[in-house]
Amino acid sequence: MPSESLAEFELLVTLAALRLGPEEAYTVSIAEDIARRTGRSVRRANVYTTLQRLETKGLVSTRLGNPRPERGGRPRRLVAVEPDGVAAVRATTAAIQAMVGELGDVIGEAR
Amino acid sequence: MTAPRWACAVLRRVAPPGRAEDVVGDLEEAHRSRVQRRGRVIGSFLTGLEAMDMALTLMRQRVRQRRTADRPSPPNGRPVVRPSRTTWVSWLDFKLGFRMLVRYPGLTVVGGLAMAFAILVGASTFEFLNQIVHPTLPLDDGHRIVGIRVSDAETNRWEHRSLHDLAAWREDLESVQDLGAFRTLERNLITGRGRGAPVSVAEISASAFRVARVPPLLGRPLVEADERPGAPPVVVIGYRVWQTRFAGDPDVIGRTVGLGSSQTTVVGVMPEGFAFPVAHGLWIPFHLNVLDYERREGPAILVFGRLAPGVALNEAQAELTILGLRTAADFPDTHEHLRPEVMPFAQSILGVRGLASLGLLSVNLFLVMLVVLVCSNVALLMFARAATRENEMVVRNALGASRGRIIMQLFAEALVLGIVAAAVGLSVAGLGLRWGLNIFEQQFFEAGRLPFWFDDSLAPATVLYAGGLTVLGAVIAGVVPALKVTGRGVEAHLRRAAVGSGLRFGGLWTGVIVTQVAVTVVFPVTAFLVQRDVAQIRSVEVGFPAEEYLSVRVEMDPQNEPGSAEWSRAEYLARFTATYEELERRLEAEPAVTAVTFADRLPRMYHPHRLIEVDKSGPSAPDSGRGHRVSSVRVDVNYFDVLDTPILSGRGFHSGDLDSEQGVVIVNQSFIDRVLAGSNPIGRRVRYLFFEELRGVFTPDREHDPWYEIVGVVRDLGTSVGDNAKNAGFYHPVAPDSAYPVQMAVHVRGDPESFAPRLRTIAAAVGPTLRLDEIQRLDQVHYDELRFYAFWFTVTVLVSSIALLLSTAGIYAVMSFTVSQRTREIGIRVALGSDQRRVVASILSRPVVQVGLGVVAGGFVVGALAFAGLGSLSLRQVGFVVAYAVFMMGVCMLACIVPTRRALRVEPTEALRADG
Repeated sequence: MPSESLAEFELLVTLAALRLGPEEAYTVSIAEDIARRTGRSVRRANVYTTLQRLETKGLVSTRLGNPRPERGGRPRRLVAVEPDGVAAVRATTAAIQAMVGELGDVIGEAR
Repeated sequence: MTAPRWACAVLRRVAPPGRAEDVVGDLEEAHRSRVQRRGRVIGSFLTGLEAMDMALTLMRQRVRQRRTADRPSPPNGRPVVRPSRTTWVSWLDFKLGFRMLVRYPGLTVVGGLAMAFAILVGASTFEFLNQIVHPTLPLDDGHRIVGIRVSDAETNRWEHRSLHDLAAWREDLESVQDLGAFRTLERNLITGRGRGAPVSVAEISASAFRVARVPPLLGRPLVEADERPGAPPVVVIGYRVWQTRFAGDPDVIGRTVGLGSSQTTVVGVMPEGFAFPVAHGLWIPFHLNVLDYERREGPAILVFGRLAPGVALNEAQAELTILGLRTAADFPDTHEHLRPEVMPFAQSILGVRGLASLGLLSVNLFLVMLVVLVCSNVALLMFARAATRENEMVVRNALGASRGRIIMQLFAEALVLGIVAAAVGLSVAGLGLRWGLNIFEQQFFEAGRLPFWFDDSLAPATVLYAGGLTVLGAVIAGVVPALKVTGRGVEAHLRRAAVGSGLRFGGLWTGVIVTQVAVTVVFPVTAFLVQRDVAQIRSVEVGFPAEEYLSVRVEMDPQNEPGSAEWSRAEYLARFTATYEELERRLEAEPAVTAVTFADRLPRMYHPHRLIEVDKSGPSAPDSGRGHRVSSVRVDVNYFDVLDTPILSGRGFHSGDLDSEQGVVIVNQSFIDRVLAGSNPIGRRVRYLFFEELRGVFTPDREHDPWYEIVGVVRDLGTSVGDNAKNAGFYHPVAPDSAYPVQMAVHVRGDPESFAPRLRTIAAAVGPTLRLDEIQRLDQVHYDELRFYAFWFTVTVLVSSIALLLSTAGIYAVMSFTVSQRTREIGIRVALGSDQRRVVASILSRPVVQVGLGVVAGGFVVGALAFAGLGSLSLRQVGFVVAYAVFMMGVCMLACIVPTRRALRVEPTEALRADG
């Protein structure tokens, strides 16, 4: 079965979750990571719904962490990217790279 | 630094099952970092916006999921076509509403600001009152913590001497568990280097810590063993005390500190924010023993406990009533009229039970009236706007829109404006609430003594309340004009469309404008009266350099050791006098101190009034038939010398006056003018009058209070401030125990405030039970009152500005509307050579009458207020009020200029083409 293809924001969320790792990836940190790296304003609500969608598709899984004082004693919901999620990232980025191809000269190098 | 309560509650409600905790946790975490970066106000505002965004997203998601679940599988792959339904309000109406906000920026700003202001006042007042009347204790199952009070049905007062009742309830009462009691003590906490500062100590039962269900941060809480006679004295300290007095020392457990005159061991530190039962920072064991006191004797205590599992408040009350009746039967002498009552804990502390519902109702009524008034003005503007869109509505009607549909469209537009206004109002309401709580704290508690359950964030109920006000406002601002616009049948308008509109500003709108102008007159006058009081307070002339004196309130603990029996009153006062005199002696030996004196009230402080009579040996001013109203002050014999106030006639006090059989007094100059009609006071006599309740008259208390002979005269020395600065007063010479709690005035060389730490050190050395409070320069004793007045002044100026803005905008709208409706008529009149002045007069006549009526109505209210004694106005002040009314009328007239000029510039040819 071919791997799931990700929409742009889904790709960003999955990449952020991969980068942060299963102990540090959760809604707030993912939103901050995307905002810091892309410079765009990220609505946490969007991150939340995207994570739910990815979880429904089986691309990520979540679990509750330990209660934390800075959250008023509430736990974080930590996100781990599943193998299917990694495959989906691979497929999507490969598709993008294939489409960009030799257009690098035209559109300029991505920084 | 927690996220707004309402935001957490909303998210908790809309979060998917099992996800509430982490969704709210995310909000808390994001809020914390936002507040650190951007400050509390902006951070809270952004968190509120984010919570709304999140809530909307979650709700959309839920709706989408439900629709997906409900959708039948399409037959043959074709989508199911659902029959269309008639919707009263569509999304399109709201989009149109947003467009209207942009298209009519003037109305958006004026109307939006006015509605935001009304919602701001409404929400913050509602939250504030709810916190008083229906407080929520931020403790585990806080709503099940109760207090028990005993009322005396005969005197209609609370009876707090309930040690015996507490012992009986502990034995028999099953519906309330972990019963305990506390009382508040003021003690000096001495932590090294001998310097002490007063702290609020709860002498409290160990069960309090079980009731609160809050474990200590360090060490242990109080336990029952600490209450036993002979147990070593221990104390549990609060987080703030730990941080400020022990620098957060992690090894504080086991340290010995001075608490009053006893040495006490710290056994625990409570976490940040814990201040149960009220606003306490230290907790010591409850040592009061029921065997030491008779029934209805002993110190006042407050009883608390936790409702037993499954027991409701009324069930606990039923059991308590039975126990109360049994006690009344067993001890009729003391308990016949006593009625124990169990109530939510916070209410038992504030004692607001009786007035609560009535007060809340009347304030709510006021808030609704405010919203109605403000939104009526917005309705005026909306009506003017709707009138300009009459043709649009006629066309819509012709295309099939019903009257109800058009009304709902205008309602949706007003609702959009209201929602934007509510968002602005609610985001600022937190500030308003914080402001109100500060004032409340200053007026009814002391700094830092606000009960721990008061919170400056808005509860979900308040946001709902604001939502209700918004809908009410939208109904007034949207539906009322819509009813007027469509009132006489849109078809009839259609018929008249070719010859001009039939819309008119009727009596309703005239009433709105007149009321608004009247309010615009009344509010600034109130602000003016407030400002006048401030000026009077600032300008009180005491006749000596008050800025060179340090004022300090001196009190002393009523017992030697916590847990030891209290001294008798006589013994206590004797000890206080000795201790105070020692303090005075040591202070006078200080090189920085020139002199020391005391009184029960120093100049510039509030002096209560009493009624007196004067002997008939000479002339006296006529009184009201109930005696003369004067202030009396108890002072040290050297009082006038230390305050550098010369004796104008007669003699000063001397130490012999303290023991003299014949009581003597010195009067001030106003006393001579106001009471003795300017006659010679020396040798005249005065006597206090008391209200005799049975006969309902004021009479002299011949048995207890004899005549006092006037022996001297001084100038007025700040016995009163405010509206009656020239106040008759007299002074009694007394020893320190007769002026308790003593206000001491220390004349200092150099800056008095820099002497304050030294003063504390000396006081701690004289006696650890001696407490010094309110240390401040004598010329600054009114700063709290001035802050309060400043608050009121700001509020009234704000309300006045909003009212003035609305009046001006309303009149402008009326004028614009009138001119646009009469374009054709004006053009024809100008074309036929009518005199411009007559045209202008005919245009201006309506607003002039409206503003005039408003000014007269406002003036009438101001006159009534002055007559009722809220502020008697001098001729000059009346002049100010009239000048303001003229100014206000001028501002309103300015609003007429633009439409009038537009009317006069109308070309006759254009006018004839105009369709209205």
